[in-house]
Amino acid sequence: MDSSTTGAARRRRFDQLVSVYHQDMYRYAAWLSRDKAIAEDVVQEALLRAWKSLDALRDEAAAKQWLLTIVRRENARWFERRRLDTVDVDDLTPSQEALLAERPNEAVDEVREAIYRLDDDYREPLVLQVLMGYSTNEIAELMEIKQGAVLTRLHRARHKLKDQIEKDAASVGEDNGL
Amino acid sequence: MNCEEYRQALIEDPTFSGGKAHLAECKECQAFRASFLEFESRIEAALHIPVPPLKMPELPAIESSEESADKIDRKNVVAIKPRVRVSAPAWLAVAASVALVVMLGVQMFGGHGHGEYSSLAEEIVAHLDHEPQALRVTDRPVSDARLARIVPADMANLNHDAGLITYARNCEINGNIVPHLVIQGKKGPVTVILLPDERVLEAEILDGEGINGMLIPVGDGSIAIIGEKDEELDSIRDNLVNSVAWST
Repeated sequence: MDSSTTGAARRRRFDQLVSVYHQDMYRYAAWLSRDKAIAEDVVQEALLRAWKSLDALRDEAAAKQWLLTIVRRENARWFERRRLDTVDVDDLTPSQEALLAERPNEAVDEVREAIYRLDDDYREPLVLQVLMGYSTNEIAELMEIKQGAVLTRLHRARHKLKDQIEKDAASVGEDNGL
Repeated sequence: MNCEEYRQALIEDPTFSGGKAHLAECKECQAFRASFLEFESRIEAALHIPVPPLKMPELPAIESSEESADKIDRKNVVAIKPRVRVSAPAWLAVAASVALVVMLGVQMFGGHGHGEYSSLAEEIVAHLDHEPQALRVTDRPVSDARLARIVPADMANLNHDAGLITYARNCEINGNIVPHLVIQGKKGPVTVILLPDERVLEAEILDGEGINGMLIPVGDGSIAIIGEKDEELDSIRDNLVNSVAWST
């Protein structure tokens, strides 16, 4: 096989992976960074890194975990480079607001905003479990924490979400004089 | 299993379906489960933000594995072993008339056309209308013997992790006889068509009237997964990746 054929096969393999997992990569990046523009940057960087190290992917069945791990590292690098402070949901940039306003729907919006307010430690395992279908064991492996810690965080994340939604509902009630 | 163990299992895995004996006699856990799953569906909907079109970065030239064999640990380089997976949620029926909108273009390798259809995707979606009986909601699986006959081992290895398969039949798509399966998901039947000889370059999203689907590349072939409009196909695709492996 000549090098051009090998290169084409490599590119084909990469394009296939990207077409299947691009949505997962973007959503994971978006919920890690809580910012559409940053998520797009992170995915671009992750794609470049994945392309360069594609030969290290030994098993196609592990491709999703491999790509999400790259996204996670690129997201950390992005914030390390810029050393951004945590943002408050009441003081968002247009790109951050865009993430919350993606699908105008009151029932979804209140949950989305509550998820947005969650600390990174709670939001990430929730995203991995609910959105990516990861088991607690897989989450523990990716986040490099113990499985027990994952369970605790998932439990607390849901409690915090419920509390936040109830608090918001009560606040709306007060505003309406109820 | 007691209440604490049951709830812990549900939090650990929201798809947990064990503990039926405890659930049957514990009204508190029945209420907990109903409330938990309702909240889960809200969380899932909130997390599903729309994804902008892919912007592929400029990829630098890379030395091939063979050219750089002296630099790479050969143990880390393995042949592509395409796999796909299937799973759960589903749909109830396909609209009689389908307005197919191809959201992402797909390029086909190989040459044959699609007769009266303009694309493979259109032919697949049209095929669903030919076999509406496949889309029954049922808990009766096809027999292992039938499944083995429709999906022979030399084509793919499909195991029960793929989900409850309730329909399996050979059908003709683009001149090839291919397996047409229906898997029962959380919401209803999901159609899966295995296309070992139809290579596509990138995933294609099918968005038609009343349906939602995808045609994904898998090695030298592809797989079509089609559900109802609000079907959550990502998890179905993920389960397929774990369950199907072309052996060609």
